[in-house]
Amino acid sequence: MKRENIRNFCIIAHIDHGKSTIADRILERTGSISSRELKSQMLDDMEIERERGITIKLNAVQIKYKYNNEEYFFNLIDTPGHVDFSYEVSRSLAACEGALLVVDASQGIEAQTLANLYLALDNGLKIIPVINKIDLPNADIDKVIKELENIGFSKDEIILTSAKTGEGIDKLLESIVTNIPSPSGDVNHSLRALIFDSLFDSYRGVITSIRVVDGSIKVGDTILMMETGATYEVIGLSINTPKEKEVTSLIAGEVGYLYASIKSITDVKVGDTITLKDNPAASILPGYKEMKPMVYCGLYPIEANKFEDLREALEKLKLNDAALSFEPETSKALGFGFRCGFLGLLHMEIIEERIEREFNIELIATSPSVIYEVLLTDKTKLTIDSPVKMPDRSVISKTYEPYVKASIFSPKEYIGPIMELCQDRRGTFINMDYLDSSRVTIYYEIPLSEIVYDFFDKLKSYSKGYASFDYEFIGYKESNLVKMDILLNGEIVDALSVVVHKDFAYKRGKVVVEKLKEIIPRQLFEVPIQAAIGSHVIARENIKAMRKNVLAKCYGGDITRKKKLLEKQKAGKKRMKQIGSVEVPQEAFLSILSTSDK
Amino acid sequence: MIKSCYIHIPFCNTICSYCDFCKLLYNEKIVDSYLEHLEKEIRSIYKNEILDTIYIGGGTPSSLNLYQLDKLFNILNILKKSDNIEYTIECNFDSITIDKLKLFKKYGINRLSFGLESTIKNNLDILERNISKNMVRKTIKQCRSLGFNNINIDLMYAIPNENIIDLEKDIDFILSLDVEHISTYSLIIEEHTKLYINNTNYISEDLDYEMYKLICNKLNNYNHYEISNFAKEGYYSRHNMCYWKNRKYYGFGLGASSYILDKRINNTKSINKYLEDKYIFDYEKLNKSDIINYEMILGLRLIEGINKEEFYLKYNKNINDLYDLEKLTSQGLIVDNGINIYIPLDKLYISNEILVNFIKE
Repeated sequence: MKRENIRNFCIIAHIDHGKSTIADRILERTGSISSRELKSQMLDDMEIERERGITIKLNAVQIKYKYNNEEYFFNLIDTPGHVDFSYEVSRSLAACEGALLVVDASQGIEAQTLANLYLALDNGLKIIPVINKIDLPNADIDKVIKELENIGFSKDEIILTSAKTGEGIDKLLESIVTNIPSPSGDVNHSLRALIFDSLFDSYRGVITSIRVVDGSIKVGDTILMMETGATYEVIGLSINTPKEKEVTSLIAGEVGYLYASIKSITDVKVGDTITLKDNPAASILPGYKEMKPMVYCGLYPIEANKFEDLREALEKLKLNDAALSFEPETSKALGFGFRCGFLGLLHMEIIEERIEREFNIELIATSPSVIYEVLLTDKTKLTIDSPVKMPDRSVISKTYEPYVKASIFSPKEYIGPIMELCQDRRGTFINMDYLDSSRVTIYYEIPLSEIVYDFFDKLKSYSKGYASFDYEFIGYKESNLVKMDILLNGEIVDALSVVVHKDFAYKRGKVVVEKLKEIIPRQLFEVPIQAAIGSHVIARENIKAMRKNVLAKCYGGDITRKKKLLEKQKAGKKRMKQIGSVEVPQEAFLSILSTSDK
Repeated sequence: MIKSCYIHIPFCNTICSYCDFCKLLYNEKIVDSYLEHLEKEIRSIYKNEILDTIYIGGGTPSSLNLYQLDKLFNILNILKKSDNIEYTIECNFDSITIDKLKLFKKYGINRLSFGLESTIKNNLDILERNISKNMVRKTIKQCRSLGFNNINIDLMYAIPNENIIDLEKDIDFILSLDVEHISTYSLIIEEHTKLYINNTNYISEDLDYEMYKLICNKLNNYNHYEISNFAKEGYYSRHNMCYWKNRKYYGFGLGASSYILDKRINNTKSINKYLEDKYIFDYEKLNKSDIINYEMILGLRLIEGINKEEFYLKYNKNINDLYDLEKLTSQGLIVDNGINIYIPLDKLYISNEILVNFIKE
């Protein structure tokens, strides 16, 4: 294989703009796969991915393409589309020389697409702009061309496609050959291969996705992971065509999979450089900037005996998700679990869902929290990733919370409601740009904690689904933060504590206790629910004592049926968490997320 | 040894809005055919035990005409009766006649159970029942004159829009009849009933409880012997005691249940199946632990609760070894006086919360 004939590229697109269908069509058109074999969205092989229509795990596939009697090898590296995964996007970008920027002809450019585009430009990638779904009746091609021109593309660079009908795909393939550069790097140098993904296979151990930058690697080589220092013998190398195909070696510019009976998950770090033990490279590849988790929450197994299973699940997920962090934590209310860090809310939801689905562990998740900074009166600085760790108010001098700059794209008719939403979330307006006569970008500075709750859902409902947004961390700002505890029957429920801005504490406390009153069923005795800052109660509701739970009549014909009814009640109780003497349904732990005033 | 038998007569002249029992609108031909198959069922299952209680329930047994009732009693003469049998039939005020009462007397019926439910207009409208106080007074008088000295009246409460004054009127009226036994029910809106389909709402839990307290207070001249049952001394329903004491019983007829050997059997509710002599719908086979579960959830319905010695003799196990009673007694949910264990009166209305502790998987 000639290095000049290799093209490594990825696709940048907003959710639903057709990234995976374009990938499918490329596979089909190049004969990598017959249309009969083509399960829609071939690259997304996780169940959740296909259901949610988003790509959350990296995937690389090699495609052969004949052009002017030359055979070319495309490595298509799939990327996630959501803002939470910009870290994974940067991982894929590092393995590519080019990117397809796919924009929906009816929707135009979205905030996240733009963010990822800038990320790609920062990485020095060649961009091919693609307008997709041109077959849609509401496609507005001219408008989208203008948008692309506004961000620096020329009209003749742009390729029009319909992944659905196949129109434009040939032109796109040609453009990949002619516009995306072949990989640089020297086959004769010592081996340097970048690990850009990994996953755990029960038979082969850890499998890594690698991009060979310099030199070559073959089966039987003894490799050294330059950062972790681990050494292994290469058992196998393969490429994905998109069926897995064994190869004996990979050379500079190529992308493939490597396995080496790696049992210890911690030996493999995504972003690390692989070299040969006997002929090590002089310097390590630049890897990635480590993404720090922005959002934390406690994950607890509903069945206490599943704690170890949960640890194993988290370890396996971390393997190809370096941004996930976790450490054991204990809650009086919920028992043993893990404090987990995520890049954002979607990341959190997806991890929760994968644990429940792929590992069959039912979870209770506590209210998400960001990382706060606290300056104590003795000048010590603390970082707080859980409300439980918030020190007593008497020793706190100042509190700081993370802020983000939110860029919200929206049709102009929703400016009013969106600004109201941002204002409500303690946002500070920065400015507003008109992208064209009908669409705007609104910039706000907002505390991250306000976004962590249901900002995205609210934004969607305020804009009838049209607005999209992206955010970037801009730093910490001083803020009057307090820890708000929730007490049931006079006892603090640690899993329900939250950190809130003092001015919003009353409102929040009221909403939460009202919500809890709705969710927690009557108990054998009256139960007060209180929200308190320190010893100061700011909201209270009472759950009345249960008055009636009786089988009023029970005669011959009823007896088996009534026993079943009692068994059902007993099963219902088992699903509740016992907190002191109060039985609390699991939904109660999510109620703290509720911010609605109704 | 089986000593009790239930007979189900599923026919009614009208269907009440709340009823989820096994019932059919009265049809003369179907009744005739039904009685034939009832006889077949009894003959194929009954093992000639001498019975202490027979209970004819429904539906509305009194909806049958005189000829059909005569036929029914002749069929029931297959059953051997002890000298002091309690022989009950359920009646409705709108279908009972002096001739039917006389027929009952002739065949040895010695206990009558009347569904009164309420006399308040709003309640009767919601329940879709028709009753007048005069009719009730007249019927009870006739029963007395014929020598019936064991009469039960059913009272229903917690009916939508009912208030505590309505209930007090109903109770006062029933008290004025001076019957031997009173059964009370808080309305349950069961699936597949007209009330359920019409999205009828329950009254508040708090009012429901107030009503129950009122009943318990006003019936203080009666023995409150089971969650919903009140009787004069010596007039407890012996048939129902058989259920609550977890004893075995036959159940014949459409939708009837029985407890025979180690099985709790439910008969089919499909009249077509029944008339093809396919009586059984399903059954639950019980092991010892299942039997004890039933013993507890049934026995704790009784105010006196469960006698610990009887329990030991029956199961060769100490009740205190089987359950963590101390936890429940310390919370005041169970009383253990050394002889009996029982649910205290003020916790009866939340007894499910307590009973779930006695169900073992």
